[in-house]
Amino acid sequence: MSVAGFIRDILPLLWSGTISGCLYGVGALGLVMVFKSSRVVNFSHGNLACLGAFVVFGFSSGSLLSLSWASAVALALGIACAIAVMSYAVIAPIVFKSDLASTIATLGVGLILQGAVQLVFGADIVNLDLPVPRFNFSLGAIRVSSYDLAVLVVTLAIVGSLFVIIERTKLGVAFRAVSTNPFACEVCGLNLRSVHLFSWLAGAVLGLVAALLIVPTTFLSSTTVPSFMLQAFTAAVVGGFSSLPGAAVGGILVGVAMNLFSFYVAPEFMNTFLLGVILLTLNFFPNGLLERAIGGRV
Amino acid sequence: MAVSDLAHASKVSASARGGHVDIARLSVLALVAVLALLPLLAGGFLLYSLSLSIANAVAVLSVSMLVRYGGEVSIGHSFFVALGAYAVAIVEHRLGLSIAVSLPLAILLGAGGGFIFAFPSRRLSGIYLAVATMALALALPEILIGFEKFTGGFEGLYIAQDLVPGVSKALQRYYVTLVVLIVVCLALAHFRKSAQGLALLMAQAQPRAAEAMGITRSWARISIFTVSAALASLAGALTGFASSTVSPNSFTFFSGVFLLVGSVVSLNRLSLPAALVGGAFITLVPTYLAKAGDWVPILYGVALVAVTLAANAGDLRRFVPGRRAR
Repeated sequence: MSVAGFIRDILPLLWSGTISGCLYGVGALGLVMVFKSSRVVNFSHGNLACLGAFVVFGFSSGSLLSLSWASAVALALGIACAIAVMSYAVIAPIVFKSDLASTIATLGVGLILQGAVQLVFGADIVNLDLPVPRFNFSLGAIRVSSYDLAVLVVTLAIVGSLFVIIERTKLGVAFRAVSTNPFACEVCGLNLRSVHLFSWLAGAVLGLVAALLIVPTTFLSSTTVPSFMLQAFTAAVVGGFSSLPGAAVGGILVGVAMNLFSFYVAPEFMNTFLLGVILLTLNFFPNGLLERAIGGRV
Repeated sequence: MAVSDLAHASKVSASARGGHVDIARLSVLALVAVLALLPLLAGGFLLYSLSLSIANAVAVLSVSMLVRYGGEVSIGHSFFVALGAYAVAIVEHRLGLSIAVSLPLAILLGAGGGFIFAFPSRRLSGIYLAVATMALALALPEILIGFEKFTGGFEGLYIAQDLVPGVSKALQRYYVTLVVLIVVCLALAHFRKSAQGLALLMAQAQPRAAEAMGITRSWARISIFTVSAALASLAGALTGFASSTVSPNSFTFFSGVFLLVGSVVSLNRLSLPAALVGGAFITLVPTYLAKAGDWVPILYGVALVAVTLAANAGDLRRFVPGRRAR
């Protein structure tokens, strides 16, 4: 491999890794929010996002209805939020008693959602594009597409508004308090359930947004989105699993690392690579790669 | 050592309960007798699915053991099951040796794999292990397909060699798996009363007390996962032997989740009847509801949620006025 070739390849790889990494980060933020507030690892995250993406497809492509893309997304958001509330209602009786049992219950919810997607939409592979005008331009060695810009804009908007909510609103203060010390919050009369519900709703929205943005790069089927969530889980682990900035940065790190691995080593061993990343991170940086740099808390 | 005193005490209290133990023992013996006579009634495909159920029962036990002793969930035990199954297939293809050689090898491989896998998260809470097992389950199919030279790729490999010469294939599959399941159940029952078993339980229930006796939590976690993975690999060897074939089709992401479903449905118990219920649930439901394919995940999901809620709702009594759980 020549040096010139390396330089020609590396910039586009870093760029596209960052773009997909943003989406892994958004997916991871949903997992971390749920985990921080309710101490549950939400294994139904990917299945819910998958269902939401299929709802958008079904309502905008004409297979169920032929609405405009925006109204289909609004409907999908509504449905995803309703399901998130129901999922939380299912585990609500045991959420304070056993993290383990609640986590197992989310797997059950995930299986139900998975079955529902297969029942309604079958095992088909479909395309679901973003309704953005197509254009490209070059920035040095990097080719920037309208899709890349859309991802960046949406990610910044959603992470920014999440940040504002958590830093500036009463709900955000309550969320931070509950994730620091739930017992003290209860003593102070804070309603833990409403904070849990907020984080589950936020998780559902973040998951759906990430799924809608990642699907145009591959395709939509009943298995792609749930397995895409492995990237989100890895990003969360790299970020320490209880740090929101960690999850966002972890997403970008995972995106870049995956791109480099698939280009230079072996594209067919992506999940094995992620497994390796998870195990190495747990061994050497149990609190996340960024523990020293930004601390474990928001 | 104090733990061995505890072991002795628990043995004494178990035998003091005399009557109950006898009834329980008799019913288990009756169950074993029924299972031993079953091939007289069932044949063909039913016997084949029963053999698979028994092999899966061992896999379910490996997951239940992890929950019971370690308080941890794994959705990636399909990896270790596949390790055992492919060990049997590859040993036969490359070396021409039967399961008599590959079964012990599968156990060793499973133990080694489990140790390597559990080591990184030894100091962390169980949720990190659960996330890592998810990656394990998703990595498995691409490993099986990627190392085509050894694993036979999409098509997989056949397992043809018998263990006991002169006995029909169907009977062999059934009785070998059954004998191994019974031995595993006996071993688990013995382990529960042994000093090692109690030490591991104590490390989970009272980490500080255990530490004072020289049993660190991380050591306990690693050793439980190692034993559990070895058991899963043994189950995989049996699955391969009982189905005469291994292929990536039987090791998708969901096979790991289904093992957990089997464990939850059997209430994570380590007894013979519980293991059979769990193994049969995850084997017979997809086989006999093949037409209702997409309903199977929904059924499993509902079972998982319902049993988890019911099993943990015992604590709800706390909310009933006049009764206190503690």
